[in-house]
Amino acid sequence: MDKEYILIAFTENQIGVLNRITTCYLRRKINIESLKVSESSIKGISMFVISSYTSLETITKITKHVSNFVEVLEVSYYDSNELITQEIALYKVSSDMFSGSERVDTILNQFGARMVELTPKYIVIEKTGTREEIESTRDKLDQGGHLIEFTRSGSVVLHRKSIDKILNNLIQNK
Amino acid sequence: MANTKKVKGSEALLLSLIAEGADIIFGYPGGQVIPVYDSLYDYSSKIRHILTRHEQGAVHAAQGFARATGQVGVCLATSGPGATNFITGIADAMLDSTPIVCITGQVPASMLGTDAFQEADMVSMTTPITKWNFQVTSASEIPGAIAKAFYIARSGRPGPVVIDITKNAQVEEFDFSYEPCTSLRSYLPTPTIEHSAIDSAIEMINSASKPLLIIGQGIKLSNAEKELISFAEKGNLPIATTLMGISAVPNHHPLFIGNLGMHGNVAANRMTQDSDLIIAIGMRFSDRITGDVNSYAPNAKIIHIDIDLSELGKNLRVDLPIKADAKGALELLIKGVKHIDRADWFAFATEMDAIEKSEVTDNCSDPNGEYISMAQVIQQLAVAEESNAIIVTDVGQNQMFSALYSRFNHTRSFITSGGLGTMGYGLPAAIGAKVGVPEREVVAIMGDGGFQMNIQELGTIMQENLALKMIVLNNSFLGMVRQWQELFFDARYSFTNLANPDFVAISKAYNIPAKRVTSPAELNQALEELVNAEGSYLLEICVMSKENIFPMVPAGASLSKLIYK
Repeated sequence: MDKEYILIAFTENQIGVLNRITTCYLRRKINIESLKVSESSIKGISMFVISSYTSLETITKITKHVSNFVEVLEVSYYDSNELITQEIALYKVSSDMFSGSERVDTILNQFGARMVELTPKYIVIEKTGTREEIESTRDKLDQGGHLIEFTRSGSVVLHRKSIDKILNNLIQNK
Repeated sequence: MANTKKVKGSEALLLSLIAEGADIIFGYPGGQVIPVYDSLYDYSSKIRHILTRHEQGAVHAAQGFARATGQVGVCLATSGPGATNFITGIADAMLDSTPIVCITGQVPASMLGTDAFQEADMVSMTTPITKWNFQVTSASEIPGAIAKAFYIARSGRPGPVVIDITKNAQVEEFDFSYEPCTSLRSYLPTPTIEHSAIDSAIEMINSASKPLLIIGQGIKLSNAEKELISFAEKGNLPIATTLMGISAVPNHHPLFIGNLGMHGNVAANRMTQDSDLIIAIGMRFSDRITGDVNSYAPNAKIIHIDIDLSELGKNLRVDLPIKADAKGALELLIKGVKHIDRADWFAFATEMDAIEKSEVTDNCSDPNGEYISMAQVIQQLAVAEESNAIIVTDVGQNQMFSALYSRFNHTRSFITSGGLGTMGYGLPAAIGAKVGVPEREVVAIMGDGGFQMNIQELGTIMQENLALKMIVLNNSFLGMVRQWQELFFDARYSFTNLANPDFVAISKAYNIPAKRVTSPAELNQALEELVNAEGSYLLEICVMSKENIFPMVPAGASLSKLIYK
């Protein structure tokens, strides 16, 4: 059964690694839902966080495949429940939304969001949350016809147990 | 630290190759590698450059060289079309774990991404088909990149590496020094073997009554031929081989029971289905080996030993996966395995051989004695060469007949495009093999289709004066596709018949002695002539137009569903 799996890879920060890793998804025709690459807590080592909907069998094969790449130090996949996953989203909404009787901060509180920019025409609000929370806010704003633009970051994740352990092992072993 | 010396990037490349022991390269010049060729002009006494007639010829020759010698093959081409002509060979080397380093020229770094003349994005294009690739944009990166390329290509599960060198990097000067690469912190090519897994394997082997040892190219790649034989002899285990494993065990060895897979031997396939324990070493359970995976080896537990973690459990369920190089694992297994008499199990092999003989082998020549059969050619060639030749095949029926009927005394003697099934591979790969091991007899066996895919390489044989023997099995058909059309597409021979040129005349035009034979009566003598020829020799053998290769497991069918005719 397909569900969301998050692959986390630690790699040398070298050119071409991203391309190599994404080919593992492409060749199996797996769409990448979100992808984030940034420096890990160790200088020179990149952390990849890739989310996709696929089967356990496929994600296992992808993970083994990725582990073979010369530049990959460590790779594992996780069920989305195993990770604390947050995304940041920015919503540009029409100022009409706030023309009613309700106060702006009441509305923002309702969404668990905060204001980033205010102009006479639009307001940009920011929200941090799980993918579901961000999508639900998006739907609500969209239904009201207030949403002008929307953008979101990829997932920022922390393992419930300790991913730092993996990193520490990397430093010690390599 | 070696002494430093100010040199151009192009010269640094050659010095780096020499430092890696790569003194033979196959290549083809062009605009963006002229500086490298200019340096080669000065190094012709230290590096032998073999000019092929097409870049595809160069890459396949590098593969053939690597497969015959066990060393890294090197090929060189210009940017753009030169580089893209390497692609098929790189993909082939990736699937067949062949260590090659492909060096391609590239437009100057300042022009990257501008669609400059003969610019092709080789790094992106080859990412999924290389073990590693790297673009060099300054001369000082050359020694490090070459050192890493050779280390990665030859270690662990070997594979192709592409090094793309921009033109400016070839002409810049820098202080050259060379240090070989011996480790990378993110890459651990030799796995640590879990001893508990080995112990479990030994227990399983010692308690199996119908074990079958299935070996692949991993045995050759880890130079584990001797260990394999000792292990099999100690445990009294029958050995079957994949297409890529052929010649790792001599055919005459009493424990050798034949080839596996789609056109494998009856004994090997039927014993797979009857076995209670498969011990698979250095192979990858390709679909051509397993047939339908759901009905594969239904009674067997499977131990899979491979150096590549991603192969374990990739294609089928495995009861005991062991990540290890073949040699290391075998050395440990030998210690614990016990000799068990398996008379019934070996008797079953003999029984299956008898079936194959009566159903297939006895009927594989023309009953009227009028036409030559491919089977007959390969059988008689094996006799004429006394099982000592390196056989390099093309792809198709010629390949499967060669696999089934060739005989080998020595390892690394069967060179074929296994995973990718690249037609046109045979001739250039045979050139590479002959260059690599000139002291051995090398015979290229091709069909009339595949021969014409890289026929231009006859020019390379002529220019290099290579004593390469060639056999063209000419049935004026793309035989394997025709066979499938006959068996599965109501004999609708859609675009598989070929109107062929006069191959003998073509060969002679390249100054290569050649002969055509058409009747079985002439065959033996013609093969003798081929074997005894001092230099290169081409034998065109006109064979039956509609001969089929059997036994056969139809694609996707169970190994139990072997067909004999």
